[in-house]
This record gives sequence, C-alpha cells and structure tokens, in this order.
Amino acid sequence: MSATSDPSSGPAAGSAPTPASVPEAGAPEASNAQLSGPEASGAALPASFLSILFTTFTTVFLAELGDKTQLAALLLSAQSGRPGVVFVGAALALICSSLVGVLLGRWLATVLPPQRLELFAGVLMVALGLWLGIQAAVQLLQTPTAAVLQAPGAAVWQTSVAATLLPGSSVPGLILSLG
Amino acid sequence: MQLPLLASTFLTVFVAELGDKTQLTIVTISGTSSNTLAVFLGSAGALVLASLLGALAGGSLSSLIPPAALQLAASLGFLVIGSRLLIRVRQEAS
Repeated sequence: MSATSDPSSGPAAGSAPTPASVPEAGAPEASNAQLSGPEASGAALPASFLSILFTTFTTVFLAELGDKTQLAALLLSAQSGRPGVVFVGAALALICSSLVGVLLGRWLATVLPPQRLELFAGVLMVALGLWLGIQAAVQLLQTPTAAVLQAPGAAVWQTSVAATLLPGSSVPGLILSLG
Repeated sequence: MQLPLLASTFLTVFVAELGDKTQLTIVTISGTSSNTLAVFLGSAGALVLASLLGALAGGSLSSLIPPAALQLAASLGFLVIGSRLLIRVRQEAS
C-alpha cells in the first residue's frame, strides 16, 4: 500500500500544495482548495507526508505524556537505577506497539468502507477527547498542585510496583498493578 | 546490559500499551490517512521521545507539569481530529 503510494506522492507533494503556487493558480481554485483542504479527498490528493507526520507526532506525544506507560518507565528507572536499559526496553516496546496499531489501522481500512471507518473513528476520537478532558478537568479542580504524588491511590500503586520490582522484577505483578 | 530488566520493561510497556488510548489513536489515524509510513514514524517517534523524557526526568516531570494539564491538551487534540473526521464524513455524504 505504502510502496505504491510513496512514489506518486513524492512529486505530487513537491509541486501541487506549496503555498507559493496557490496565488498563481487564480482565485476560484485557491478558495476551492481552502474549502476542501488537502485531506478532504484522501485517495486522489494525498495529504503531505510532513503534515501527517506532524499531526500524528503531536497527538500521540501529548496523549502519551502523563500516561501510565510513562509513569511505569519513570518508576522502573527510579527503582532499578539503570535508566538506559529501561529506556531501550520501553522504546522497543513502544515502537512495536505503534507498528501493531498502524498495521491494524491499515487492515481496518481494507475491510471497512472508508466513510464508515471515518465516521467510526471520528465518533471514537470525540468520545475519547470528551472523556479525557472531563477527567483532566475534574482532577485539576480537585487537586491544584502535585496531583499524582499526593493522591492516596497513587501512593498505593507506587508501593505495589516497588514491592513487585524489588524481589526480582516480576512482570505479571507490575502489569496487575498497572491495570 | 541487564537482560531481565530489559525484558521486563519491554513486556510491561508492551502489554500496558495494547488497547490503550494511544494505540486506539494510532489505529484511527492510520486507518483514515493515506500515508502509512508517516503515521508510523510520527507515532513511534512521539512514543520514544515521551518515554525518553520519562526515563530521564525520574520523578521531577510530574512535579513540574501536572499530568492533568497534559491530558487536557491531549483531549483538545482528540476533539480537533475527531470533529475534523466527522466534518469530512458529512461533506462526503452531502
């Protein structure tokens, strides 16, 4: 899929959607392009590599910061005293999990009709955004400063992680305490 | 290299990440965008950088920036992407 779309998107992205060429194209075309946007027709006019890269990076980075995976890596590095090893392990796992996610998305795109997939994805994203936003707002309102470290649940979680790590870093115990 | 520590970190993070909202996001973006390689590079880079920050910062990051504020920013990003998808579906339907 990507092998066939990459060579075609390379020259197209270089010539067509640059801002310098838009004023030369004339007013009606320019307004048309602004209305529909580069992403509006995905197959015919692929969005530029960099914009997809940037959107994905920003969203995933923001979603991941302050998430439980990062907390796990943080605790592991604090307990073991070997942050380098912890980082390599976490990075490999995250690359693998994002590969799984990307492949799952490609598979879904071949199985479902694109419009239905977009509708489903849009509803899912809005629901996730609302849920996360409400959760974060409640947390911000309840505990204004140093929310995680002082919370009683977090303290229990930390001690349970430490207890499972100290005897010999047993993975199932850590997973249970994460869930 | 400490192999047990490496393996336990890998397994822990990998299992914790499966079915997480981050992976749901990656599935969503990958399924609805045209460039698979860009999605993979963007998501993998973001995850690696986030875990690098986590491993480097130790306990100091969560005291500097409250995680709830980061979550709030992430939820705004979700809302923007989701509503953009829904608007696109609506435009295609009409």
